[in-house]
Amino acid sequence: MAGTRSAEKPGFWIAFLVVVAVLAVVPLWFPNSFWQRLLTEVLILGLLAMSSDLLIGYVGMVSFGHALFFGTGCYGAAYALTWTESPFALWLALLLGLAGAAVMGIFVAFYSTRLRDIYFSITTLVFAQIFWVIVFTWTDVTGGENGLVFSPPRLSFLGLFAAEFTTMSMHWFVLAVVALCYVFCRRVTQSPFGKVLQAIRENEPRTRAIGYNVERHKMGMVMLSALVAGLSGALYGIFNAYAAPDYFFFLQSGETVIYNVLGGIGTLAGPVLGAGVFVLLKELFSTYWSPEYYLIPVGLLFTIMVIYMPQGLLGFLRHKLNE
Amino acid sequence: MSDSTYPLITKKLTMHFGGLAALEDIDLAVERGTTHAIIGPNGAGKSTFFNCLTGLLRPTSGRVLLEGQDITGLPPERISQRGVARSYQITNIFPGSTCLENIRVAVQSRQPTSSFLQHHRTDATTLEGAVGIIETIGLGGKEDVMASSLSHGEQRNLEIGIALATAPTLLCLDEPTAGMSASETRDVVELIRRIGASLTILIVEHDMQVVMSLAQRITVLDYGQVLAQGTPDEIQANPQVQEAYLKI
Repeated sequence: MAGTRSAEKPGFWIAFLVVVAVLAVVPLWFPNSFWQRLLTEVLILGLLAMSSDLLIGYVGMVSFGHALFFGTGCYGAAYALTWTESPFALWLALLLGLAGAAVMGIFVAFYSTRLRDIYFSITTLVFAQIFWVIVFTWTDVTGGENGLVFSPPRLSFLGLFAAEFTTMSMHWFVLAVVALCYVFCRRVTQSPFGKVLQAIRENEPRTRAIGYNVERHKMGMVMLSALVAGLSGALYGIFNAYAAPDYFFFLQSGETVIYNVLGGIGTLAGPVLGAGVFVLLKELFSTYWSPEYYLIPVGLLFTIMVIYMPQGLLGFLRHKLNE
Repeated sequence: MSDSTYPLITKKLTMHFGGLAALEDIDLAVERGTTHAIIGPNGAGKSTFFNCLTGLLRPTSGRVLLEGQDITGLPPERISQRGVARSYQITNIFPGSTCLENIRVAVQSRQPTSSFLQHHRTDATTLEGAVGIIETIGLGGKEDVMASSLSHGEQRNLEIGIALATAPTLLCLDEPTAGMSASETRDVVELIRRIGASLTILIVEHDMQVVMSLAQRITVLDYGQVLAQGTPDEIQANPQVQEAYLKI
C-alpha cells in the first residue's frame, strides 16, 4: 500500500527466523556427519548463488564467471591459513578472501559498464577461465592441480573464546554468516540504491534520462556481488580445509547460474533452495548411477523446469500460495 | 535576450547525420512559464531537436543554454539533473514495476544520496512526493497496479508523471497524445494545462487542436530549419506555414 512506512511486510521476520531455526536444529537429527556437512555445503553454495542473483535478478546482468570470485575468495582464505595459526586466523582468512574477491570485482565492475547482455556474460566467462588456467599452471604459488591443503582454523570470536570446529559448530557458523548476508543483501535490494538498479533492469535509457548515473550504480552492485561470492569462497575453503583450481572452473560458474534458475531468480532465498535441490540430486544420482553421468538427469530436469516452471521453485511456490 | 526570461535558449543548433542536415541553425528561446509548441511535418527534425536538448544526441554544432548555462553535449543524466525532463513519443516507462515505483524512483533521483541500507519504504519524503504526483496525473488508487497492466492512456499519463517527478525547470513533451482516444486526449490536455500553469513546457504535437489550445508560442520546423515563429494566431495566418504544413 502507498503510504506504508513499515520496512518489511508483516510475517517476514517470523518466516525468516523459523527457517533459520529449522536449518540450525534439523541437522542434529541427521544420522551422520555426512548429511550434516552436505547441508553446510548447500548453504555455502547457496550464498554463492545469492551473490550471483544480485546481478541476474536485480540488475539483469548474467555473470558466467562467478567462479572467479568464489575461487579467489577460497585461495585468499587458503593463503591466510597457510601463513598463520593466530587466534584470529578464521577472521584473517575471511578478510583475505574478501580482499582477493574485491580486487577481481574491480576489474569486472570496470568492464560491466562497457559491456551488456551476452557480451558481459561471455567476458566474465573468459575472464574467469583465464584465471583458472593461471591457477592450474602456476604450481609454485597456487599448488597447481593439487591445490592448497591447510589445517582448518579454530572458531574464535573477539578473543573471547576459541575452540576447534566441530561439524555442528561449523554448520552454525556458516548458517550465521549466510543468514546475515541474506538480511544484508535483501536490505540492499530494497534500498533506494537497489531500486535504481531494478529500474536499470527494467529500462536502462529511461533510468539515465531521469538523472541516474547508470555506470556507478552497476559498478556498486558488481562489487557487492563479488564480495559476497568471495565470502562464500572463503567459507568453502575453511569448510573443506582445501582450495582447488576446480573452484575457478567454468562448471562452478555454470552451476551457480543453474541454482538461480532452479530456485527462482530475483528472490535471493530461491537460489539457496536451488543449490539445495541441485546438490541433493547430484548426490542421489551419483549414489545410484555412475557419478560422471549425474549431469544428464540434472540437465533433463533443468530443461523441464525452464519450460514448465520458468519462475523457479520459490517463484512457483509463491505463485501457488497467492492463488 | 535575458537568461531569466528564457530558461531555454538554443543558438545555431545544428545536427548532421552524415550528409543529411536534420537540424540547421535552430535559434529558439522558450519564455518562462509558457507552453511552447514545436510543429512541423514528419521528418522536420522535431524529435532530433528533443534528442539534442536532452543529451541523447550530441549536436554537430551550436549551443544549448539552460538558465544561462551551457549544457550542450552533456550526457542525459547530467542534463536531467540540471532540470530538463522529457516524455517520449513511444511510451517509455518501467513496465515491470508498480505505478508508485515508476514515480517513486523518479522522485528519488532528486535526493542527494541513494542510501543502500535504508529500506525504500521508510523514505517518507520521497514516498509522499510520489503519491502527490500520482494524484496530479490522475492515477490515484492505482499505486499498486503494474505499469504494464495500465491502459494505453494511463501509461501515457504515467510517462508524463515520471518526467514531472524529477521536478524539472523545463518539461519537454514528445507527442503526449499519440495514440489516444478523443476523451483521453481531452484529459491529457487538461493535465498539461494544469502543469503548465506553474512550469515551462516545450511540446511536440501533431494534433493541431491540442497545439492551438495549449501553446502560447509556436515554432514551425520544416526540413530542419525554422520556418516561422509566433503566436498561434500568427502561425495560422502565415501563408508559408499553410503551404508547408497546414496544406490549406
